[in-house]
Amino acid sequence: MTPPRPRHDRGLVRPYVVTEGRAHPTRNTLDLVALVTAVPDRPLNGLSPEKRRAIELCRPGALSVAEMAGHLALPMSVTKVLLSDLVDSGHVHVRPPVPKAQLADARLLQEVLDGLRSRF
Amino acid sequence: MGPQSRFPHVPLPPRLSYSLREDLMTQHIPEAVFWCLAVVTLAGVSLLVRQYRITAALRGRLTLHEAGLLAREEEVRHLSEVRLPALVEAAHGSAPVPGPLDADLAGTTYGKNLQQIVEQFTGAAEATRSRADRSAKATLKAAMRALQALANEQQVSISDMQDRHDDPDVLRDLLEVDHTNAQFGRRAQAIAMLCGSWPGRQRAASPLVDVVRGATSRIRDYRRVTVHSRVDMDVVSRAVEPVVLAVAELLDNAARHSRPNTTVEVGIQAAHNGVSIVVDDSGIGMDARETEEAGRRLSGLVDIDINKLGNPPQFGFAVIGALAARYGFSVSVNTQSPYGGVRAVLFLPNALLNRVRFMGPPIPGLGGETPPAPEPASPGASEAAAAPSATAGGLPKRRRSTQRHQAADGGPEAPAADPALVRPAAEAASRMGAFARGTRSGRDSSHDTEGTPQE
Repeated sequence: MTPPRPRHDRGLVRPYVVTEGRAHPTRNTLDLVALVTAVPDRPLNGLSPEKRRAIELCRPGALSVAEMAGHLALPMSVTKVLLSDLVDSGHVHVRPPVPKAQLADARLLQEVLDGLRSRF
Repeated sequence: MGPQSRFPHVPLPPRLSYSLREDLMTQHIPEAVFWCLAVVTLAGVSLLVRQYRITAALRGRLTLHEAGLLAREEEVRHLSEVRLPALVEAAHGSAPVPGPLDADLAGTTYGKNLQQIVEQFTGAAEATRSRADRSAKATLKAAMRALQALANEQQVSISDMQDRHDDPDVLRDLLEVDHTNAQFGRRAQAIAMLCGSWPGRQRAASPLVDVVRGATSRIRDYRRVTVHSRVDMDVVSRAVEPVVLAVAELLDNAARHSRPNTTVEVGIQAAHNGVSIVVDDSGIGMDARETEEAGRRLSGLVDIDINKLGNPPQFGFAVIGALAARYGFSVSVNTQSPYGGVRAVLFLPNALLNRVRFMGPPIPGLGGETPPAPEPASPGASEAAAAPSATAGGLPKRRRSTQRHQAADGGPEAPAADPALVRPAAEAASRMGAFARGTRSGRDSSHDTEGTPQE
């Protein structure tokens, strides 16, 4: 699926207006590859056009934060601010990416191996 | 008085008869002398009287001429000391130029000559002023265009930096720099456009809300502006930048002339033959004289002399007036806002609006036709309808417009992997369209073969 190209001219509405001057997202759990899904049947009244567009984008299915930024034609950090607002207002869910399995440190293992070898 | 008494010493002769004749003759001589003397005296007196009259008349005329001369001197002094400086001053303000001192002089040749001097002086002053204005405008325009280009360039690099840096602290600083740069660019652009320049950048047709928010991004107190819009229309490409600039000037005025803890409300309202952008502030308002002056500048009909804009120059209304006249919208500020301040209304005629909204590239399967969105919440429906209802792995996806589809294909079996079953209406429409196109092209070609005898 290719969502409609955002019609808005980049540079017309500047990012500080989009975030109302904020640069820090209300939560710092958002990762580039975190998946965003819309919460169904939430009223969109009173939301800024960018927030509406973001919800419309992730309505058909999950979309990663990075993709969202690309489709909204907004900088990544600005998208994060927007999405954290939407999470706070209950319009979207963000599913953090599955963390990679924690592997033991190779150097530590090597040292243990070396120690064992020297001992026996 | 007898002759005897006049000549008592003359002795009378002794012979009486002779002496009587003599006496008679001598008696007549003094009489003649007397008469002669009387005539001479009379003539002298009349001459004297005449002379006196002539002198008196001459003296009168002299006094009159002296007074006239004084009046003319006074008039010339008035001309050089009062009227001509006032004419020069009239270039800077609208002070009335005083007329001649003596109304009687105006009818004379002298007065006409003076009037001619005044006219020539006015013409020369006007020519000088317009030449100075032209050259000032040309200089300002060139300078502002250079600044504007720099601001645009800087905005591009700031945007790049915003894309590149993910750190919120860096972003915060970048947003501040961006904000200042946008105001800087607006100032330069506004002055350049007042001096007759073009907007300097071309934008795509943009929704009215984005146009107003674009204007919001160019003023200092952008956080105080709230936009209410129920209108879903686009501003045509060539008018985007001028409208953004005009709305930005209105918003800047509104924010500047109201308390920092108040909001500036912007409403976008549809009208029969256009759209109104209404800017309300809760500020101090304007008195009658300011309103009149603002109306004069906003009309865009008067040629704005940039030397008359005050110090520091008040570009706002002059810029809006110039833009409105050039691009065909209108602005008025003569209403009082319900919040107590000024209500500014910018009216965009239909010629500057796109009523039909272009929703991006046509979505395959819908024949390029997107149904008009009936309510703000539903534009996602067209995307949802265009999206396949199953993922690549065959898992069903949630769809928004389920009611419409369920009515057609019975709901539960809809999430099958075949998209043709999911979008029967769209599919049917495209097939019907294809059928109609095929029929038309077939008929056209057959008509062609019949109509051309050489084939």
